[in-house]
Amino acid sequence: MPVVTPSLALIIFIAGIIAGGLGSLLGVAGGVFLVPFLNLGLNLSFPVAAAISLATVIATSSSVSAARSREQVINLRLGMLLEVATAGGSLLGGITAQLVAPAFLQRLFGATMMAIALTILTRLNRRNVILDPTVSTGVLGGRFVEEESGGEVQYRVKRLPLALVASFIAGNVSSLLGIGGGVIKVPVLNAWCGIPLRVAAATSAFMIGVTATPGAIIYYGRGQLVPALAAAAVLGVQLGSWRALEVAAKVPAKWLKLLLAVVLIIVAILMFVRPR
Amino acid sequence: MSNGRLERIIGIVLRTGIVASSVCLGAGLVLSLIGVVTPTAVLLNVGVVVLLATPVARVIVSIVEYVNERDWAFVTLTAIVLAELAASAVAALVFNRRL
Repeated sequence: MPVVTPSLALIIFIAGIIAGGLGSLLGVAGGVFLVPFLNLGLNLSFPVAAAISLATVIATSSSVSAARSREQVINLRLGMLLEVATAGGSLLGGITAQLVAPAFLQRLFGATMMAIALTILTRLNRRNVILDPTVSTGVLGGRFVEEESGGEVQYRVKRLPLALVASFIAGNVSSLLGIGGGVIKVPVLNAWCGIPLRVAAATSAFMIGVTATPGAIIYYGRGQLVPALAAAAVLGVQLGSWRALEVAAKVPAKWLKLLLAVVLIIVAILMFVRPR
Repeated sequence: MSNGRLERIIGIVLRTGIVASSVCLGAGLVLSLIGVVTPTAVLLNVGVVVLLATPVARVIVSIVEYVNERDWAFVTLTAIVLAELAASAVAALVFNRRL
């Protein structure tokens, strides 16, 4: 277990602020940035880094969803349905993480980030919103007010089985890698399942609390979740994501996707170049 | 798409959980850094437990609300999610040192 010094706590707190700010700007929890930093930058073991990150993921999910619960942009029914798959995946991932080597987890992390980045890049210009308000949205679809189009838009959920599979994998990877898994769900929901980016991001942010919890509980039970470091990271991420949400609503979706893809590719390369 | 009542209730649960855990974690962290030993481990662990319990509480209130609405499909789905969360606690006990 790492020794908790004031300087280590302060560094993790600042890293949390940066990860939280970047993460909420890009519609992902900060885990994709925090895990590589804690693991490669601060030399914490992969499970300890993943556990801290999962704690911040839960905090981000709770605070972001509390703030958004009035806006109708979260698709609650879709979220609760997909949670069945994502929590199951997370449970299995949390168990698996105790049984495989950290070096394998680092490579899996790199490969996952690279695959997601490429998916985002190939679908940069797609829009899923239906601008005609008379179109039926189906049982799981929805409508919301979008700033970019300046009015109420609707969408239908397509390829639900694919969304369930992606959620299961996201849950699995979440526990294994210490990320929320939004980075997998959001592109799949957006690119293949017909869900607008902002709804996909809000619904995913809602789900990742439940996604991260089984893994976090297992790490905590193992004594791999260091409470003081988790505290520093959680408080930092909350502070960082506080203002960024307002900025995110004003930046065009295409630029957010491009920025996210570039960041993921850099993270992926780092994980492959510097495995320990 | 969704009913506003459940969203409001969930909003309250999540906000309460995140504020309570942040206060415990913040107080615990500050006390541990200035060298006060006694209550810090308790505060930090309570903060972590409240943090982890918040999504669980959100699932439980969703089940209750879906029962009230007699929406049995979603009662079943959210109950499965709760069972998965409970199973992770069992797995944690199996791997255990702390819980």
